[in-house]
Amino acid sequence: MLGFVLRRLVFALVLVAAVSSASLILAALAPGDFVAESFGPGAHAGTVAEARAQYGLDRPVAAQYAAWLSRAVRLDFGHSMLYDRPVGSIVPERAVNTAILGATALIVATLIGLPFGIVTGSSPRGIGASVVRGVSIVLLSTPPLLTSLVLVFIAARTHWLPVGGMTTAGIADDSLLDRLRHLIVPAAALALPFAATLERLQARAMQDVIGEPFIAATVARGVPRTRVVWRDALKASLRPVAALYGLMIGTLLSGSFVVEVITSWPGLGRLMLDALRARDVFLVAACAGTGALLLAAGTLVSDAILAFVDPRAIESRP
Amino acid sequence: LTGLAETRAVIFVALAATTLVACNRGAPAARENNSSPQGGSVTVSIQSEPQSFNRFVKRDTGTDLVMLLTQARLVRVNRSTQDVEPWLAERWTRSDDGLRYTITLRSNVTFSDGHPLTADDVVFSLAAARDPKARALTDVFEIAGKPLQLAVADPRTVVMTLPAPYGPGVRILDNLPIYPKHKLEDTLKNGTFSSAWGVTTPPGELVGLGPFVLSQYVPGQRLVFARNPRFFQKDSAGVALPYLDRITVEIIPDQSAETLAFESGRIDMTTDRIRPEDYGTIKRAADEGRAKILDLGVTYDADSLWFNLKRGVFAADPRGAWLQRDELRQAISLAVDRKIFADTVYLGAGVPVLGPLTSANKKWFAADLPAPAHDPDRARTLLASIGLRDRDGDGRLDDASGNPVRFTLLTQKGRIVERGAAVIRDELKKIGITVDVVALEGGALVQQFTAERPTYDAVYFSLVSTDTDPANNPDFWFSGGSAHVWNIGQKTPATEWERDIDQLMTRQVASSDEHERKALFDQVQKVFVAHLPTVQFVAPTVLVATSARVGRVMPGLIRPQILWAPEAVSVLR
Repeated sequence: MLGFVLRRLVFALVLVAAVSSASLILAALAPGDFVAESFGPGAHAGTVAEARAQYGLDRPVAAQYAAWLSRAVRLDFGHSMLYDRPVGSIVPERAVNTAILGATALIVATLIGLPFGIVTGSSPRGIGASVVRGVSIVLLSTPPLLTSLVLVFIAARTHWLPVGGMTTAGIADDSLLDRLRHLIVPAAALALPFAATLERLQARAMQDVIGEPFIAATVARGVPRTRVVWRDALKASLRPVAALYGLMIGTLLSGSFVVEVITSWPGLGRLMLDALRARDVFLVAACAGTGALLLAAGTLVSDAILAFVDPRAIESRP
Repeated sequence: LTGLAETRAVIFVALAATTLVACNRGAPAARENNSSPQGGSVTVSIQSEPQSFNRFVKRDTGTDLVMLLTQARLVRVNRSTQDVEPWLAERWTRSDDGLRYTITLRSNVTFSDGHPLTADDVVFSLAAARDPKARALTDVFEIAGKPLQLAVADPRTVVMTLPAPYGPGVRILDNLPIYPKHKLEDTLKNGTFSSAWGVTTPPGELVGLGPFVLSQYVPGQRLVFARNPRFFQKDSAGVALPYLDRITVEIIPDQSAETLAFESGRIDMTTDRIRPEDYGTIKRAADEGRAKILDLGVTYDADSLWFNLKRGVFAADPRGAWLQRDELRQAISLAVDRKIFADTVYLGAGVPVLGPLTSANKKWFAADLPAPAHDPDRARTLLASIGLRDRDGDGRLDDASGNPVRFTLLTQKGRIVERGAAVIRDELKKIGITVDVVALEGGALVQQFTAERPTYDAVYFSLVSTDTDPANNPDFWFSGGSAHVWNIGQKTPATEWERDIDQLMTRQVASSDEHERKALFDQVQKVFVAHLPTVQFVAPTVLVATSARVGRVMPGLIRPQILWAPEAVSVLR
């Protein structure tokens, strides 16, 4: 087990390094740069040239990357051109906000998706199952962008919930209730498609397990069907769902970037969008690297869940 | 606009050696009801957070908004009237040769920390603008490529010396926020000014002369500004400004979400104009009495199409024979149906224009310019005159060598210009010209046409003038200018008509006779539209909205349309 965790940590380091490096190089290679973006047309050529020299943008991309890499190994990930601060002082706070949103969405999706999947998988022919299946298919085919806009629209029209942001102006920052109210719309926007995914996966797995001989034998021994479904069949059907959690966490992160922009959630996605728009290559690299770190952490958690559900699955991994 | 009455007293007193100008305009006056306009708060939104609290370092919208709310300048261009008004300056005199202005500061003005304003702060601020690492305002305080100078005469008097005659005079100082020397002098001396007052600076350390002070900044979420009790200005009834106790600026990165937040009542106004596609939503809120829509009329600037007119760039390209010809641009101007353009791009909320100025610029727009026309037949005739005609009967034009008439039009991705470029492509297809539209990110596009040797064919982009007075946009008008986008930074004028414009503008900038300046600029516009180095089609109408609870505002056409004068905003109670 220790060897597995160590391998995972090495994998996380390689992933972060690769993603950060690729982001920086691609952002630097793309046409335009921070100076062209921020000065716009009309700036004097001399001023533009001085600014490029100051930020090191007048050097070849390979030289820029080498300079960044030599600092990064000392945990100095560069200076944001956009905010004129070390990126290390900007990213962590936003990463925490993204992690809060992602974790909440994952929990909500699990709490909604799994029970519905169990019900629709164990009784697939009922009207209820048909309705749930239809709703799931609609949610699955709706991108998070549209879900966010619809939920923000509903919040705006009904005034039931805040339409954006993380806190309300004038309310103490440590008001947990206020933060939870603000979390509902973005978390729901992110969670609903994943709840639908989980429902479909769990329903399919449950259907497969229900047909297994050991389930029929248990029922034949007189154990009530409800207990068979929620105890024996559930445990046996969780493995394929748990195996997909790691993949879902990655998709959740990319989905959260869109949701953050629409719902004004101050997370990593919004920061990265601002950085990309401004062509702030060091901030782009830091955001991408942090996203990769969250992904690696999420994968580790999903492996832990899988180990809990089916220890043989982890033991058999290289 | 009509409900706003301003007390204006402009006194021109001619002295033997100098001209004295004094006025007390700019302070809002009339009340909309009998209750006190003081108190209350509003919530506004911006799409991106400030990159700095130091306007000398950054020039983004957020940083500019912080400056508008927390800082003041010696003079201010009234964005409703476009006139220059004294602000921290009480009056000024001009020497006979027009090169020296003696500026007297208002008495008893203090920064938000209680420190008195003196002439030293003004001179310090110009030095800060010239900090080699700051750069956001570096190029602004130059006339004919030479720096203007400010010197302290006494604690309340500053002398501005210009390197050359300059018609707009003190108008240039509208760009100079006055920062506190007592807080920032050390940073300028030790070379750290460019990192001073970054966004991590505690709000309490920021000091200003403006109507508000920053009281809270929550990164990614909001900025809260509280009333500056030491703000120097009163309205004409003697009521201390600003009226509001607080302005909260929410950061909402997506404009659709911004519109929904406005509709829900979460915000009272946005810092940008209403997009055509959002008009229906906001009109419904207005019809229900929850919002007010202010029609500010047509904007100052229409988006521009231009070709790469750099000499020699198409030497190896057979299209060089026609891509840089005046007739091509004139034909394009005639071929595009501006009614279709306005309907498609601005959903009808736009007016046809010809030339870079619109009728909104009442002072400088030449009213006798020819009206924009839609005449595809004349366009075809013009194109035929340069050898472009349909030679093989396929409905598409060919040049003299039989190659199809085709060019690439670069535009900015995700902006309204992208929609405009699509209309241009469709309209030109009707006369047989094939246009390939390529949308790029803003920075990549700018880099294309500001390159030393640009290789693009044509660009459709939003060029925004920094001032309505053409003398303050020399980089666009002069052939050597850095915003002379069709052929940037010419050492000598590439064409006769550019030489003519250079000469006319040289006289226009130097003259202090407003009538002469207007006549000269009328000629500039006539030369310009005769050659159309940039082609404009439609200028949109600017609509802004506020919630119904917002009372008095002084809107202007330039962003931020309402918050350029935040001290004048009040709420109905």
